[in-house]
Amino acid sequence: MKITRVILIALGLAGLFLGALIMVQKQRPDQIVGVIVWIVAAIIVHDGILSPLLLLLDVWMRRAGRRIPFGVLAIIQGGVVVGAIMSMLVLPEIYKKSLGTKNPTILPLDYGLNLALFWAGVAVLTAAACVVYLRRRRASASASSASIG
Amino acid sequence: MRRLLAATQQALAAPPRNPRMAVVVGRLLAIAFLLCFGTGLYSHFLQEPEPWMRFSTVPAQLYQVTQGIHITAGIACFPLILGKLYTIYPQLFQTPPVKSPLHLLERASIALFVGASLVQITIGLLNTYQWYPWKFGFREVHWALSFVVIGSLAIHIAVKLPMIARFWTRNSEGTRELRGETQGGETAPDAAAPVAESAPVGGVTGRIFRWIDGAPSPEPAVSRRGFMTAVGVSTATVVALTAGQSFAALSPFNIFAPRVKGTGPNALPVNRTAKAAQVLDTAVSPDWALTISNGPRTVTLTRAELLALPQTTVELPISCVEGWSQMATWKGVRLRELLNKVGADTSQGLKLTSLEKKGGYRVTQMGPEYAFDASTLVALEVNGDTLDIDHGYPARMIAPGRPGVLQTKWLSKLEVEA
Repeated sequence: MKITRVILIALGLAGLFLGALIMVQKQRPDQIVGVIVWIVAAIIVHDGILSPLLLLLDVWMRRAGRRIPFGVLAIIQGGVVVGAIMSMLVLPEIYKKSLGTKNPTILPLDYGLNLALFWAGVAVLTAAACVVYLRRRRASASASSASIG
Repeated sequence: MRRLLAATQQALAAPPRNPRMAVVVGRLLAIAFLLCFGTGLYSHFLQEPEPWMRFSTVPAQLYQVTQGIHITAGIACFPLILGKLYTIYPQLFQTPPVKSPLHLLERASIALFVGASLVQITIGLLNTYQWYPWKFGFREVHWALSFVVIGSLAIHIAVKLPMIARFWTRNSEGTRELRGETQGGETAPDAAAPVAESAPVGGVTGRIFRWIDGAPSPEPAVSRRGFMTAVGVSTATVVALTAGQSFAALSPFNIFAPRVKGTGPNALPVNRTAKAAQVLDTAVSPDWALTISNGPRTVTLTRAELLALPQTTVELPISCVEGWSQMATWKGVRLRELLNKVGADTSQGLKLTSLEKKGGYRVTQMGPEYAFDASTLVALEVNGDTLDIDHGYPARMIAPGRPGVLQTKWLSKLEVEA
């Protein structure tokens, strides 16, 4: 294991060095600053904004859904996660399309409409998954109570 | 401060936030990163080959597949990286924040890894619809960051190797301890261990922590399974609904990709229009002729003369660096027949010049393996029609397995290189 780690660290440092070298050779100092700003901003957006929001959403759902079986909450949370991640990829497309593209074959679809339909689909599938989950739960609960009885 | 960090870490504790999950999602993310890196290197060297490099012209769809994988794997990285970061997020609040200079270095390297990875996939995504809301060069920075990301990945794996080994399989020692099957004592150093905190945090922050603590706690097994399912379904969804721009089998499900197969003039998407390349006049000029030269030997052919030569029909994809691709039927003159007219040798490459006024791909090179391939054409027609001006009228190059930017449109000169 030790030798593997040494090799990996050596390769990693070489990669970092090469990346830095390319950056310095091919970009002006103000452009490099621009890259660093983007990297720091990415960390702040994820660690400082998105993750805390996710925690608050999770806690809020658990508190609000006290009486709801946890499995149902988990399914709903899963649906929200799938929808949110897809939206994260599609919302910039919608915005860019509103700014205009270089030619009509770039971003040719109605992404706003598609996203709305997608959310509707997610809602339907999430609801269906909840129904299936609750039925199974009830079935196994009655089966176990029957076996006890 | 320390108390606040500890309390935050405790508030963030959740069943899926454990080292086993970090290893499981981390593996998938590493595979996606390596796929992107490998296909990215291939694409880079196709565009900027070292003089000794030769590439395969078969299968003709090679680049279509490698670049389709590059973009699709890049899109898959979004749910995977978010899932991975979710599993380790409480680590951000570890106490003490810095234990030693080495620890500081490790934390700094992780910050760089996370930040560079997020930027890499984000600028890559925006590039697929040609949006550049920054002042740095996309190609250069994407190239440089690929080494930063893969380098940081290697260092990260090296640092975490003992942990990765402990949680590698379902039956690894660490995983079993996590399930409570063995007496491991202090287990799961990654998951926020219960903090022995006597004095509660006061003020507004304290109220927030109490609000969080007051929520019903998640059921561990359901929570972990739900997490893995959410990561899996998200990844499958983003891939299924966008990969149709690259892979024909998925094109019926393409509702979110920036490109759609079959759109545009000649049923082909366009990257750079004739207008953008400033060839609207020169491309339709009656004086246009293609010049082919090999040292002093020169042949000049008008479009009518090219059409009078034996015509060949080939099925070749146009495959963009931005990931979209499209199969098309091209008709035109075999390039090697034109090169024979000026006595070119099969070991010689070509310099291609386009009518376009400026742009990084106005002048490009083509290696002999492509120049003398039987399916490489100076194309005059596509999909049964005359080339649209946006697809390179009066004549364009089409060769197997090359990036779209090198399938030069609005050809002007072909010079055999000595």
